[in-house]
Amino acid sequence: MTPVSPPNETGRQSVLEARGISMSYGAVRALSNVDLSLYPGEVLGLVGDNGAGKTTLVKCLSGVHRPDSGEILVDGTVRDSLNAEQMRSLGVETVYQNLSLVDTLDVMQNFFLNRELLYRNPVARALGLLNKRQMYRATTERLRELELAVEARRSIAAVSGGQRQMIAVARAISWGNHIVMLDEPAAALGVRQSLQVLTFIRSMAERGVAVLFISHNMQHVLQVTDRIVVLRRGEKVGDLKTADASAQQIVTLITGSDLVVAGKDTKV
Amino acid sequence: MEDESPQTTPDAPQEETGSAASTAQGVIRRALDRASGSYRAFGTLIALGLIWLFFSLKSEYFFTTENIFNIFLQASNIGIIAAGLTVVLIAAEIDLSIGSLQALSGSVAAVVIIQHGQPIWLGILAGLGATVFAGFISGILTWKLKIVSFISTLAMLGIAQGVAFLLTNGTAIAGFGDTYGLIGTYSFRGFPAAAMIAIVVFVAIHLLLTQTKLGLQIFAVGGNSEAAEFAGIKAGRVKLVTLIISGLTGGIGGLILSSRLDAGNGLFGANDLLAAVAGVVIGGTSLFGGVGSVVGTAIGVVMIASINDGLILLNIPDFWQQIVIGCIIIAAMAVDRLTKAARLSIL
Ligand SMILES: Nc1ncnc2c1ncn2[C@@H]1O[C@H](COP(=O)(O)OP(=O)(O)OP(=O)(O)O)[C@@H](O)[C@H]1O
Ligand SMILES: [Mg+2]
Repeated sequence: MTPVSPPNETGRQSVLEARGISMSYGAVRALSNVDLSLYPGEVLGLVGDNGAGKTTLVKCLSGVHRPDSGEILVDGTVRDSLNAEQMRSLGVETVYQNLSLVDTLDVMQNFFLNRELLYRNPVARALGLLNKRQMYRATTERLRELELAVEARRSIAAVSGGQRQMIAVARAISWGNHIVMLDEPAAALGVRQSLQVLTFIRSMAERGVAVLFISHNMQHVLQVTDRIVVLRRGEKVGDLKTADASAQQIVTLITGSDLVVAGKDTKV
Repeated sequence: MEDESPQTTPDAPQEETGSAASTAQGVIRRALDRASGSYRAFGTLIALGLIWLFFSLKSEYFFTTENIFNIFLQASNIGIIAAGLTVVLIAAEIDLSIGSLQALSGSVAAVVIIQHGQPIWLGILAGLGATVFAGFISGILTWKLKIVSFISTLAMLGIAQGVAFLLTNGTAIAGFGDTYGLIGTYSFRGFPAAAMIAIVVFVAIHLLLTQTKLGLQIFAVGGNSEAAEFAGIKAGRVKLVTLIISGLTGGIGGLILSSRLDAGNGLFGANDLLAAVAGVVIGGTSLFGGVGSVVGTAIGVVMIASINDGLILLNIPDFWQQIVIGCIIIAAMAVDRLTKAARLSIL
């Protein structure tokens, strides 16, 4: 076990790396021996059919799940058995599929969840006193930038599904200045909001953030990613540059066979 | 880290959208959003006013300073344990042991102070230490062994009371003396010290829940423990803290009770669980977690104490109290359901 990974051929140091990750849920083998590296300023697409293991892999990388075997490296250092809080403090932000927000809290409280602003005064800080005014201002500002027509103190239970999704994405984007993982961030979004999310993803990458993007929308994946990793039944079956890839090729990798669409022979 | 504002992302499309917040509907929505919490407390307050009005009309003694202060005194014990229970319920757990914890702290204090002749402060510390430890054990079982708190605190209910009986040999150890007795009997211009202690407990817990990071974590864990965990909050640890808090409040309640009754015994306070749950529920705290306030609990507990007091004044037999309180719980729940439905249809 080397504590520090060597930079790859191009001389770049990966910010997040998985080596030989395997994980099972009881008898269900969700991941077997998956390798994956993520580089700064890069958008990596992670694709695969339902149940291929994408969400499981993201949860391993974000510290929510502990893989059965394999190593996880952040900035080249082995960071095994870190929990979600520790991974977040290393700069790993994640939007989980459907699961990131607390319904009974309001927009602001969700936005700052476990990242609350406290007063600077040391006594207040020791007591954990919340600086609600500052949080309110920052949240309102953020919502305006995102053109989300919701009030900062509105309960999450009372916003639309797509707005929830946007708030979850906005939160990850706002806090993530190093590594951001998005598990189907555009799944519930309208056309304009989807494009907005894609724009955010690109601008984050331009700032040097490493982005991992999961989506079933091939058009989005081809449009926004630099590289694509394909999972099939828990195994990595492809890792290719987006510039060199075609939609057909990726679909073939995802399904594991040449695709026959609607009775027509469309073998590639 | 915590003080950094989230950084802004450039390149957001700048097209303006019609903001719902500026429309009339938006204004109504916002008002309802803001008021929904205080509405609930306000409704309970009105119900309390009606109950007071009713008893005042029936008995002229009811609405005297003396009697109202007496109601506060009666409410203070149950109020203190109900405040702790509120915290646990917001975290989507429950503490069934709070009644027995009162018996435990009172018995421990009696053994230390009366039997062993130790100073009062030591007895108080030992009593609180015992119940905090009990809360800690329930919390650890819930966190580490994943035993649901319904079970771990049910076990603790039995254990705490059993230990209290063991310590006191099944009888009441009596005779704390005047100084210790002041906790439960002293009053300042008629206002009982016990009620002052209760007020301090309520204010402290209210501030904890509404103004601190820990408070927000308690709401987050109760609302959606998975999302809270994903955000890096250690849900199990937060739940442990809530059970320690209710251990502490159980201990405080028991000390007041033992002071008032001038004795420690395995029975003193052990039956208060039901009244505490009733107060919390009437006060609008959800049994499913994520929603609640000790302001509501305070009103709920005073309501129950008022009903007990009023029924006694009217010479209505004891058992009616239980029936009336049961009916009020049902009424509170029904009102919750109906107003929630009404609110959703307006939105
Ligand atoms: N909590 C769980 N308990 C048991 N099995 C699980 C659990 N979560 C996922 N699985 C199983 O693990 C496998 C991988 O699931 P995962 O959620 O990672 O897939 P995915 O690629 O994210 O799929 P989707 O595109 O549908 O989101 C599936 O076979 C799934 O049924
Ligand atoms: Mg998934």
